Amino acid sequence: MNLDDLTRTSGEWLKGSGPESDIVMCSRIRLARNLATYPFINRASRGERADIEREFKAALVEGGLDLAYMDVQAMSPLDRQFLVERQLISREHANAEGPRGVAIGPEENVSVMVNEEDHLRIQVMHSGLSLNEVWERINHLDDRIEETLTYAFSPQLGYLTACPTNVGTGIRVGVMLHLPALVQTKQIDKVFRALHKINLAVRGLYGEGTQAFGDFYQISNQQTLGKSEVELNKNLSDVVPQIITYERQARKALVEERRQVLHDKVSRAYGVLKTAHTISSEETMLLLSDVRMGINLNLIDDLEISTVNELFIHTQPAHLQKLQGRPLEVDDRNIARASYLRARLSNGRHPAE
Amino acid sequence: MTCQRCKAEASVHLTESVDGRMREVHLCGACARKTGVTLPAEPPDLALDSVVQGLIVAHVGELVSELARKICPLCGLKFMEFRIGGRLGCPNDYEAFARGLLPLVKRAQDGVTRHVGKSPRRPPTAASTEQLKLRAQLREAISREDYEEAAKLRDQLRPQLKDAER
Repeated sequence: MNLDDLTRTSGEWLKGSGPESDIVMCSRIRLARNLATYPFINRASRGERADIEREFKAALVEGGLDLAYMDVQAMSPLDRQFLVERQLISREHANAEGPRGVAIGPEENVSVMVNEEDHLRIQVMHSGLSLNEVWERINHLDDRIEETLTYAFSPQLGYLTACPTNVGTGIRVGVMLHLPALVQTKQIDKVFRALHKINLAVRGLYGEGTQAFGDFYQISNQQTLGKSEVELNKNLSDVVPQIITYERQARKALVEERRQVLHDKVSRAYGVLKTAHTISSEETMLLLSDVRMGINLNLIDDLEISTVNELFIHTQPAHLQKLQGRPLEVDDRNIARASYLRARLSNGRHPAE
Repeated sequence: MTCQRCKAEASVHLTESVDGRMREVHLCGACARKTGVTLPAEPPDLALDSVVQGLIVAHVGELVSELARKICPLCGLKFMEFRIGGRLGCPNDYEAFARGLLPLVKRAQDGVTRHVGKSPRRPPTAASTEQLKLRAQLREAISREDYEEAAKLRDQLRPQLKDAER
């Protein structure tokens, strides 16, 4: 697998399948792990970081793991941004320096960042609400890697991490939710406050400190110590259905109280996306969000949800430039984005790849 | 800029917020003292280390400042540096800085300081710590350009790297 192969496909987590996938875009778990025999990244020399990378690559071979390793250090900024947009590496990893990389699994369900904040950041994502399956898969992958590598661990504090906020299980259990009706009815802040009270964090589509866009929010645990992975998993699995219920209630209320207004808004959004000749990334996200909700409320019936999910990712700057095969300035990107949207939306039903 | 009260050269420049509006005030040293805006007896030491040390002593007391100077022998990180940057330097820091770190962990982790859940089937051994030590010595040897010593240390670490290169 190489990067150009990726431009022609999209991750399994965008398929729009799996339980509750009208609201839960995907479930995701990451584990922070460090090798016991090296300093953490901020004290490791370049040579040591190169050795960590080498040891991890050897572990992939040793364990017979079906992951393709990519050297992020050697990549162009555009390719790095492309991986960020696909949720396969973090912004920090893209912008860092020195030897580092990412191993990516088939269908993009699995990615392992090497030399990010911790030596290893293992991530597994699945479409829909499927935290138990995700946990089983990542737990197994973690075991396989550990057959070759020795992790930093203390019986009292668990897996030792560069930042003490991850120590213990090193786990972050998260779901990415699409909550347009809670945003439109201005109830979203209430929900967030309630989540903070029970120690859950809310982030935007691209992680820490990024603004939520397209009405997508990631909800995840903050505590990593003193509760088992299964407990932390259950905490989130218990809360998410409640948020789903709130969102469904808000959607129902919107439909019942303002059906014409809502239908108009959704149709206009769809209309603009199908006909615009230049469009910014922000506007695209906003309109796609309306269209996505419109499909789920049966107000639009000639478009697949997986197509919309894909468009959220494929209309972002690095994706457009990869698809066009050349670097584009903002104005040209806006034109390319509009033309890509028209092509993808023009023929009505457009089966997902 | 002249003093707003006596027209002498102003040496104190303040911006204050009154009812949400920003207001600038310019005063000479004498007028500033009269209006109760006190000046430090001598200019502050601008060396960052000592400023930060001073702040720590002032806010958290001598005990913490002693802790602040604590250095992990395996990675060379000072507790102070961790407090500024928020990232630890090596697995051994959790032991080296235990006294200062555990209260922070407790605060960040909902009052808990004991791991529950998965543990590795092959936990690290004394040999792992030994390798961390060798690496520390290697980094140190390289930094003082003692390449003979560095080569020796590298040889000691070699078996593991060979393993990785297979």
